[in-house]
Amino acid sequence: MIKSVIITHGSLGRELVQVAEKILEQKLDVEIIAFDWQGDGSGMIRQLEAFIARQGGHKVVIFTDMFGGSPSNVSTRFIGPNVEVISGINLPGLLKFFCCGEPDGAFRQVVKKVEQEAKNGINIISEYLGEKK
Amino acid sequence: MIEKKQQIFNKLGLHARAAAKLSHLANMFSADIYLIFNEDKVNAKSLLGILTLAASVGNEITLQAAGADEKEAIQAIGDLFDRKFDEEI
Repeated sequence: MIKSVIITHGSLGRELVQVAEKILEQKLDVEIIAFDWQGDGSGMIRQLEAFIARQGGHKVVIFTDMFGGSPSNVSTRFIGPNVEVISGINLPGLLKFFCCGEPDGAFRQVVKKVEQEAKNGINIISEYLGEKK
Repeated sequence: MIEKKQQIFNKLGLHARAAAKLSHLANMFSADIYLIFNEDKVNAKSLLGILTLAASVGNEITLQAAGADEKEAIQAIGDLFDRKFDEEI
């Protein structure tokens, strides 16, 4: 079983999760951590440490909002055999993970599928439609 | 491989919540399942793929399935469409 946590600037993560829950019509098993604008990031690190420790060796995927941002930067220190970070998470990526991402599948395979689905969700629509014509 | 023509009855068409239900259901079958609409063919197990069809109420799509449980898959998915994705509006 792959556990997940979303860590973002402000309440972005909470909002994304709430929308995904509405679409999937189910409560999602995901930890939400919000970046404290006033802090130095140490609070986020402690929360991430505690979350990963609670998972008892389960694989963990950390979703962050933007590569290079503080939530993403503090997350990278946890990358290892059991922990992967996906930056720039969006609604398609989250839905892929929770809807059809085979959360019991091979860890690497699951994170690659989520990454791909998130990327596929970004389109200049006029060009996309143009390509389809 | 079997195919079935299927009309979309729910008012909002294949929007996000309907697509989520459809892909979730499709993933319960081992068969390869596709939706075909306006010359586009998408994997019914992909939520995002379903959304790219932008199919609306009244449109007719083709359900296609190939695999050991293809018959059950087409039946279950057809039922979901016929039930208007269990939407109340």
